[in-house]
Amino acid sequence: MAVEVVMPRMGWTMETGRLVEWLKHNGDTIEVGENLFTIESDKAVLEVEAIDSGILHIPPDAPTPDVDVKVGATMAYLLQPGEALPWQAAAPVTSAPFTPANEGNGHIAPIAAHPLPATASDSRKAAISPRARRVAREINVDWSTLSGSGKHGRIVERDVRAALRPSGPAVRATPLARRVAADAGIDLEELAASRLAAGASKHISRADVDAAAALKTPPLPSPAATPLTSLRRITAQRMATSAHTTAPVTLTTEADATELVELRTKIKSDVGSAPQPVPSYTDLLTRLVALALLDHPGLNATLQDDTIVLHTTVHIGIAVDTERGLMVPVVRDAHNKSVGQIAAETARLVEQTRIGRAAPDDLRGGTFTITNLGMYEIDAFTPIINLPECAILGVGRIVSRLELIDEMTEKVAVRKMMALSLTFDHRVVDGAPAARFLQQIKRWIEHPYAWVTR
Amino acid sequence: MREMTFTNAAREGLAEEMARDPSIFVVGEGIGARGGNFNTTTGLYELYGPERLRDTPISERGFTGLCTGAAMTGARPVVDFMFLDFLLDGMGELINQTAKIQYMSDGRIPMPIVFRGSIGIVGASATHHSGNYYPIFTHLPGFRVVVPTTPRDAKGLLKTAIRSDDPVFFLEHKALLNSKGPVPEEEYLIPFGQAEIRLAGRDATVVAIAAMVNRTLEACAELAGEGIAIEVIDPRTLAPLDIDTILESVHKTGRLLIVDEDFAPSGIGAEIAAQVMALAFDDLDAPVMRLNGLHTPTPYSPSLEAAVIPNTKRIMEVIRDLLAE
Repeated sequence: MAVEVVMPRMGWTMETGRLVEWLKHNGDTIEVGENLFTIESDKAVLEVEAIDSGILHIPPDAPTPDVDVKVGATMAYLLQPGEALPWQAAAPVTSAPFTPANEGNGHIAPIAAHPLPATASDSRKAAISPRARRVAREINVDWSTLSGSGKHGRIVERDVRAALRPSGPAVRATPLARRVAADAGIDLEELAASRLAAGASKHISRADVDAAAALKTPPLPSPAATPLTSLRRITAQRMATSAHTTAPVTLTTEADATELVELRTKIKSDVGSAPQPVPSYTDLLTRLVALALLDHPGLNATLQDDTIVLHTTVHIGIAVDTERGLMVPVVRDAHNKSVGQIAAETARLVEQTRIGRAAPDDLRGGTFTITNLGMYEIDAFTPIINLPECAILGVGRIVSRLELIDEMTEKVAVRKMMALSLTFDHRVVDGAPAARFLQQIKRWIEHPYAWVTR
Repeated sequence: MREMTFTNAAREGLAEEMARDPSIFVVGEGIGARGGNFNTTTGLYELYGPERLRDTPISERGFTGLCTGAAMTGARPVVDFMFLDFLLDGMGELINQTAKIQYMSDGRIPMPIVFRGSIGIVGASATHHSGNYYPIFTHLPGFRVVVPTTPRDAKGLLKTAIRSDDPVFFLEHKALLNSKGPVPEEEYLIPFGQAEIRLAGRDATVVAIAAMVNRTLEACAELAGEGIAIEVIDPRTLAPLDIDTILESVHKTGRLLIVDEDFAPSGIGAEIAAQVMALAFDDLDAPVMRLNGLHTPTPYSPSLEAAVIPNTKRIMEVIRDLLAE
């Protein structure tokens, strides 16, 4: 029996998936467990494996790459050797054409009402609705050249009517003129209208088209329009939802990161026993923030309908810039992990995410997010909260500056200052607790011993 | 104009007819002193007594046959099945005798009989009390099938049914029985075979059956907010079917959806689709679509029951699909 290969649901929220590419070809013999195609869904690219065996048949109207496909929609069929496609099996039997030879033997040859294409790969004639066909006849439009706006490109009434601009004169052009005009991007209807207005004949020859092409100014380069990838669309949706539904407030401060920088420098230079990979500032901050959140559960909260859930575990999302766009892999239970463990895990997650191979579970379930723009020489900024979380920490660059370190003696020193931006959702948490949280982060950056001993 | 419920309007129609014509009588279970399970005869027993409001034992095939015989002799019985599902026990009489007598007698024997009963999936009535069945009767030659949706139509069509010399099924959807609407004071009848355009529109035509008319109107009210104008047609009688009104609408819109709580296979939507394809192929700008209740015995569980009936959201989705064709 023909088995349908469908767009799988890879997570509860997944409604559509975008086909990235087929990993197998039409006609390939497929074993259970072999990867059939890859899809992009909910920020991850996933391989979809066959759950049945058979010969792969990808029908001509199957989804093409970069098209959104509803979960459950048929992508292809797996057939057994010699098995016909479901719709071909159901097709009426076509018998031999009616000829004088079989006229006399008393039986009537049935004739298929709708001859089907002999093979599924035959190109199909443009479909047109009966109504559109009637209207085309009534208003004298040649529909064979139209492209349809109905389902699967079917020509419907509006396409036929659009083809006949009520104000435009009927264009009479030689076939050569039409071809040259098409190549040169000349609108024959406009040309005919302008000639008519100038009192010239409405018959258009190649010379007329050439003359018009010479006059035509080169068009400005048009802005590149790219359809939204599903990642871009999800990001757009989530950012808009966050911007429209939260009550975001951003607090900024500066922390003296001199000791933190020293700490990292020492870890890095201690070649013998340094964890591999060497923890980044983001890794250090992940650990630091996770511990701080245990003291400030109000910031480690999510708003679900009318309930604020204060989480007892800390899952830190880390904003990562990839070729395909912003992704946020999640370090689970960051409060229970050492800096070394966190460094190893973020390295793996970021790599998986960058190449689009992160599992859906690696990309959700965070309770707090850190976004670091320090490498781009950004100081303070206003990050957007990653819903349903209630706060996000923006990390700015570390910059060396002369700082007054003792008011009494007016002593200044070169210190390494780090800008911090905390955006929180005022619906969920108030300003003072958020400020206390940011203050603790500031203090811990300034005095790492206070948290590395925890 | 005064407002009445569907049931009260229909009962007023029955009472007016009984007052006008002494040959009319009602037969059924609990339709006497009790006034009918659905209040179809409340108050009439006091006026006309047990002779014309005849309670029966649970014996559908028996009283269907008896009333068919009574109609042959010139009486005008109204057989009240309470739930139309109960009529299924009388199918042998109905199909082989009631529907065929006029033909067998070359028209010399009339068959002025009304079969009424409640239809539809409502309120966890479960599978023995949720049938629609009308395609069975529209399939058979000889029957008239009436599915009113408003109180005004219920009264006007019941009076026409009682005066008809052909056997008529008068089917009352349970979701509509307590719905209210304007009913004229003066006497009126509504002829069979005249559909009513409940909402005028240009983008697509929806033919809705029985309670689905109201669901469809709700869906169309929401779609109207987006500038989508749907024409909603209530056929009111399925046999005869006013195909002309549907064709005229399809000529205007080019798109047709039939919304029917009853099952899709061999149903009334299939019939309408086939007729429109045969008579107005060149008007169709998209394939005719159907939205039906699921093809399954009706579940008892309220949540499963809700899942088998087309709801407003689903109707909106399918209308959007139709417009995208």
